[in-house]
Amino acid sequence: MTRYLIRRGLESLAVLLVMSFAIYGLMGLMPGDPIDVMVQSDPNLTPADAARLKALYGLDRPIGERYLNWLGAALEGDLGYSRLNNRPVLEVLGPRLLNTILLMGLSLAVALAIAVPVGVLSALRPYSKTDYAINFGALAGISIPVFWLALMLIVVFSVQLGWLPAGGMQTIGSEGWLDRAKYLILPVLSLSLASVGGFTRFMRAAMMESMRQDYIRTARAKGVPERRVVYKHALRNAMIPVVTILALSFGTLFSGALITETMFSYLGMGKLIYDSIMGNDYNLALVSLLFATFLVLLSNLLADICYAWLDPRVTYR
Amino acid sequence: MSIREVMAAEDGVETMPRHESMARLTFARFLEHRMAVASAVLLFVLVVLVAAAPLFAGALGLDPNDVDLLNRFAPPSADHPLGTDELGRDVLLRLLYGGRVSLIVGLVTALIAGLIGTVIGLFAGYFGGWLDALLMRITDSVIALPLLPLLIVMAAVDLGKLGLPPDLATSPETSLYRIVLIIALVGWTTVARLVRGATLSLREREYVLAAVSQGAGSLRIMFGHILPNAISPIIVATTLSVGTIILLESVLSFLGLGIQPPIASWGNMLNNAQELIYEAPALAFYPGVLIFLTVIAFNFLGDGLQDALDPKALRR
Amino acid sequence: MTAPLIEAEGITKRFEASGGLLRRSGPTVYAVNGVSFSVAPGETLALIGESGCGKTTLARTVARLYPADGGRVRFKGEDVTQARGKALKPFRRAVQMVFQDPYGALDPRLTAGAIVAEPLVIHRVGNRRSRRDRVAEMMATVGLSAAQMTRYPHEFSGGQRQRLGIARAIALDPELIVADEPVSALDVSVQSQILNLMRDLARDRGLAYLFITHDLAVVNFIADRVAVMYLGEIVELSDRDALFADPRHPYTRTLMRAVPVPGHGKRARGAGPAGEVPSPTDIPAGCPFHPRCPRAEAVCSTEKPPLEPIAGQPQRRAACHFRDEAA
Repeated sequence: MTRYLIRRGLESLAVLLVMSFAIYGLMGLMPGDPIDVMVQSDPNLTPADAARLKALYGLDRPIGERYLNWLGAALEGDLGYSRLNNRPVLEVLGPRLLNTILLMGLSLAVALAIAVPVGVLSALRPYSKTDYAINFGALAGISIPVFWLALMLIVVFSVQLGWLPAGGMQTIGSEGWLDRAKYLILPVLSLSLASVGGFTRFMRAAMMESMRQDYIRTARAKGVPERRVVYKHALRNAMIPVVTILALSFGTLFSGALITETMFSYLGMGKLIYDSIMGNDYNLALVSLLFATFLVLLSNLLADICYAWLDPRVTYR
Repeated sequence: MSIREVMAAEDGVETMPRHESMARLTFARFLEHRMAVASAVLLFVLVVLVAAAPLFAGALGLDPNDVDLLNRFAPPSADHPLGTDELGRDVLLRLLYGGRVSLIVGLVTALIAGLIGTVIGLFAGYFGGWLDALLMRITDSVIALPLLPLLIVMAAVDLGKLGLPPDLATSPETSLYRIVLIIALVGWTTVARLVRGATLSLREREYVLAAVSQGAGSLRIMFGHILPNAISPIIVATTLSVGTIILLESVLSFLGLGIQPPIASWGNMLNNAQELIYEAPALAFYPGVLIFLTVIAFNFLGDGLQDALDPKALRR
Repeated sequence: MTAPLIEAEGITKRFEASGGLLRRSGPTVYAVNGVSFSVAPGETLALIGESGCGKTTLARTVARLYPADGGRVRFKGEDVTQARGKALKPFRRAVQMVFQDPYGALDPRLTAGAIVAEPLVIHRVGNRRSRRDRVAEMMATVGLSAAQMTRYPHEFSGGQRQRLGIARAIALDPELIVADEPVSALDVSVQSQILNLMRDLARDRGLAYLFITHDLAVVNFIADRVAVMYLGEIVELSDRDALFADPRHPYTRTLMRAVPVPGHGKRARGAGPAGEVPSPTDIPAGCPFHPRCPRAEAVCSTEKPPLEPIAGQPQRRAACHFRDEAA
């Protein structure tokens, strides 16, 4: 087990390393480079100055060398400066990360609170009217474009009804959790609606599979009450694949969070990545993208650990 | 010889159903899935409508890119059945031409991604060993990545820096090819895993062993015997992926990183919708509904095909 | 004796038992353990044994479908054990297979004509038209009509499918056909038709068979020589008539007692060897058959008897300490 985890951990690390190089390379292909931006904003700089600056920052070196330099600095904790924020990248990243975790955590909780009971209900009455209606709803949830859903929520709840703010983090000059909560409702609603469909379908499949198992039949034959069969035996076993899929869907959830944050001007990691790319702040974009990748890989690793821990049948060498 | 003919005639008595009835059975199972049938009809109508877009343009005497600044945000009328947008362009025409782009991007990308996934899955499953381990690690890694941020980066790449001439690098047509390419680059994983799984089981079949024993090469076995028998899951997965791809294209275009104006796509029609939400909420409504309907139709179609092609598989 | 067509020498094939979802490997199974035999041109060697004794694995290893873990396969004196690609082509052409499951062995997506034509296509024999003629000829030879070329496998009956499999196997005019239980999945009434067909083909075309079966009646019908397999090894190798008249290995005897064989005056008396076949992951020490053997003595559990000629009958071999005792 330990050896397996070490192997998986090393694999994830390798993926992260490959991705860091790939993303670093892609950043070099972004429109405009930092020196060009400087030249544009400072008319006193001559082309000769620009060339000198490029040499100074090592930008005239081959990509492999530049990457290794960057990696060396990054491993020593120097992740560079954010051009847009004029602050070290890490300082910018920290609060954004917390905001994203809050948004994703709440949305996940809402999505699960809907998906688990609804998926179980669907699985207990397969091919009934209820089941078809639930399946339709779930597919609709999967098929709806998140950004459009957010747009419609804004139209209805902010523009038409005027109940909730259309975006932002909190009212200027106002403090406290109640005010923040008002700004969280629509983003959480949109992100959870975006993921609830997939979870519901998965919950249904896992529950149906679980109900088919021999031990369920045995439990019934022994006269265990149906409620107990469903909730104690079947549901518990159905949760094993669900937990796994939860951790594995972290990447999808993060993509959804990026859209939601952008739509609602919610200051999280997703919006940070989008803004830094659009604003040519490549240092920030690079680090925040890598950080997101790291989080996704970590959640996948957690999925494996959960799976091993929850399912005693799985053995590792 | 005559005895043999008698024998053959004898055991010919228990002849099995003809193959036409298999296809008919599959079709009958598909028809049972009402939502899938409705989706097929919806998609057919949609395809006909967007194919007929030039006819509509001719009837209205308009071009989808005609700017008419005197007629911004016009309400629906005989001249503009769905009104006009912030530049006075006809919304109906833009929806139809945008539909062409969204559907073609969705289908073409799904096909390319399906092709990549099929080849990777076939090679991984057939050859096994280190190649399988490597390809599957790559597949798992791509699945594990946060795709949207990566797509945004790839969509933002300055093609001029890759050596493309500047006017070509920023042309709207290039944005079309680019979006197809980058989504295909990350969208092949589902098909690859499915095909690998199917290949692992099919390569143990006796008809594959028979081909090996006749001296068939690996390519012949993979593409002649394994692939045709693994086609059902490929069709299902590719159909389902069209929906996902249309969603990805729309979000990238919406963010201004996908299909570039003046080419219309359902995604980039929503581009300015957020700023215009107080003035013209209807502009945001139509493209979104069309994306939603198309995507849900492809999802139901995929479900229906799954039930029809593979009745033994778990109904999801 | 003429030069052998194919020779197997000390063939060994191991499998790692699957250890479940995430385990790397389980115990090693010796499916075939140091087996040697040869088949002469035009000769039918029947390989008989209970299910799980390694017959199929042996056949597939000899036919180069599985790589051997030990030993050699020689074809017309040439070592083909390691041959690949082009070097293997003549072997592939001369050695064809017929499988047990007549449906599973035919690609369901191909028509009957395409199935029979495939070996011709692979070996680039003739052009489209001549191949068509050849396919029609082959189908007629096995008792199918050329009009059935456009049909798909599921439109044929079990017996017809096996005829198709045979038509495919003979399309290249092979010298050896490795037939793996070709009739055991068929109705009894159809079995004899297929057996007749195969025997006629051997006679008319000078075909040699490595014929795998678990059915003594089939052996009696088709074999020239017989190899009896038990737990991955040949325990008795003999010409057919001598084997049926005077089996020397106790395992062969118990097999014969279990099954009535027409023409040899045997009647069912027992119900086959007593006890269960030991797991091939855990082959007993000494003679592998000793735990089930009625003739076993102390030496049998310690010393493994080699496969050696029987006194006075040099063409026969048995792997038993008491091989020289007539029944």
